[in-house]
Amino acid sequence: MPKIRSILGYMWAGAAVIVVFATFLGSGFFSRTLVAASGVKISPLYTGGEVVRSVDHGSYRALIHRPVFDALIGERKEGFIQVNWEPLAGLPPVIEESIDYTGDGKADFSVRIDTKTGKTMLTHINPQVTSIEESVKLDDGWVVRVQLKKD
Amino acid sequence: MKINPPQARQREGMVKTVLLTVVMAVITIIMFSKGKIPQNTKELIALILTILFANTLFFLMVHTGKTDRYRAVYFSTFAVMLIISFISHMFGARGSMSLSEAKVLQCEVPFCHLVIPMTLVPMALTKTIIFPGSLIGGYASIASMFVLWIGATLALGRGFCSWGCFYGGLDDGFSRVLKRPVIKKINPKWIYLPFAVLLFVVLTAAAYLSPTYCTWFCPFKAVTEFEAVTSTKILIQTIIFVSLFIGLVIVLPILTKRRTQCAFLCPFGAMQSLTNKINVFDVRIDKEKCVKCKRCIQVCPTLSMSEESLEDGRARITCMKCGKCIDSCPKGAISYHIKGTDVAGNNNAYRLLFLFAAFLFISIFSAHIIQDGIVRVLKLITTGSMIL
Repeated sequence: MPKIRSILGYMWAGAAVIVVFATFLGSGFFSRTLVAASGVKISPLYTGGEVVRSVDHGSYRALIHRPVFDALIGERKEGFIQVNWEPLAGLPPVIEESIDYTGDGKADFSVRIDTKTGKTMLTHINPQVTSIEESVKLDDGWVVRVQLKKD
Repeated sequence: MKINPPQARQREGMVKTVLLTVVMAVITIIMFSKGKIPQNTKELIALILTILFANTLFFLMVHTGKTDRYRAVYFSTFAVMLIISFISHMFGARGSMSLSEAKVLQCEVPFCHLVIPMTLVPMALTKTIIFPGSLIGGYASIASMFVLWIGATLALGRGFCSWGCFYGGLDDGFSRVLKRPVIKKINPKWIYLPFAVLLFVVLTAAAYLSPTYCTWFCPFKAVTEFEAVTSTKILIQTIIFVSLFIGLVIVLPILTKRRTQCAFLCPFGAMQSLTNKINVFDVRIDKEKCVKCKRCIQVCPTLSMSEESLEDGRARITCMKCGKCIDSCPKGAISYHIKGTDVAGNNNAYRLLFLFAAFLFISIFSAHIIQDGIVRVLKLITTGSMIL
């Protein structure tokens, strides 16, 4: 029995060297496999969640994400909705957009962004809309996050 | 008590050393160059220097039987080169070390292994990663760091903290500045603090779906990237990062000669202590040979050797397999060991097998970073700028 344990130990130690090679030589393959097999994504708290609607304005378009209330289990009371405008080159000096994120045909809030100064104004319509969380120029567009609260 | 210098070190003869170094040299040449000879002179110089550096250290490790002395040189060089490479990369890509809101919202923040413990619970329950990075591709993608972590855990266990972590070389290096410690007595209970930090950051990260250690406590933000100071909250975070870096990575390692950040704060290290069970290598003490001189207890940079360890014949679970106790033991009673084998067995074979896995890991992992660091230093010397 001790001899078998010893042989297994040596085999395991030899396998450690192989694991090192596999880790570096197969990094790309294992990374892709890991992501595909696990099905993980970046949290919507960072990506802004899935885009549910796109509004075409000719030289630019607005991408409206789903409202994000994600919590570890269930939903939080406070969340946000993200809207992106892109591409950067097609943006007008002032962006004005009314957003209907509930899909009831009525605007829930409207934003006005001065893309030269970054000054962003929010007009609340839906009482769930609270304030501007972020208004940031990106490499290829502009993004606004508006804070929401649940009833 | 007067202690004689180490006598029974696991050194190898010249022929065996040369043969093993030739094998390592062939592997490193292939791995470091990726099968291509660089056309750029600076890159060629960097490649040659990196190969020579790695193989000289490997030769010395095998021939002298000293592990920690040469490992520390490699490990600290890796950490310094990472900072040079990373900071100049950030300046090249963003114009500063600070992290803009745009990069966070575009999910372009480089991922590091320290975030892994905080991502596990949210990943299990929500199938999402709570970090604004890139899953695949880009600089330091999330999936590639997970693969690296899994590989490191299988091959080295907690040995990653002494043979792979690109931050650990900093406090390891600073812990060697003074010949003798100024602060000699440290309560060994401090080694449990990282487990408390681990529990705290795992729970808070799960509750807030935010990598709380990165946001509030990571000392290495001070030398990699941090959010641009645009609010009082970010100012407080920045003060915490810088204070922890100065305290735990520079000042305390110098004063105590211990790796204080790794031993008393790092939650990733604590997690590696727990996952170390699946690794085949450990550090064992031959109780027959041990004369209880306690030199290992004095020198261990992570307080992983204690009187109980000497009684049990094994290092504590916080052992990072750096090899310092092995180098310092005057009786050759401490050695790397392969689980399942006899402690008093073929210690040279155990050490060589561990050394091959560990040295390959650090050399391959660090190769690109050290080469990039050398190229940037050469560029600084020749053009006055480190940005490529």
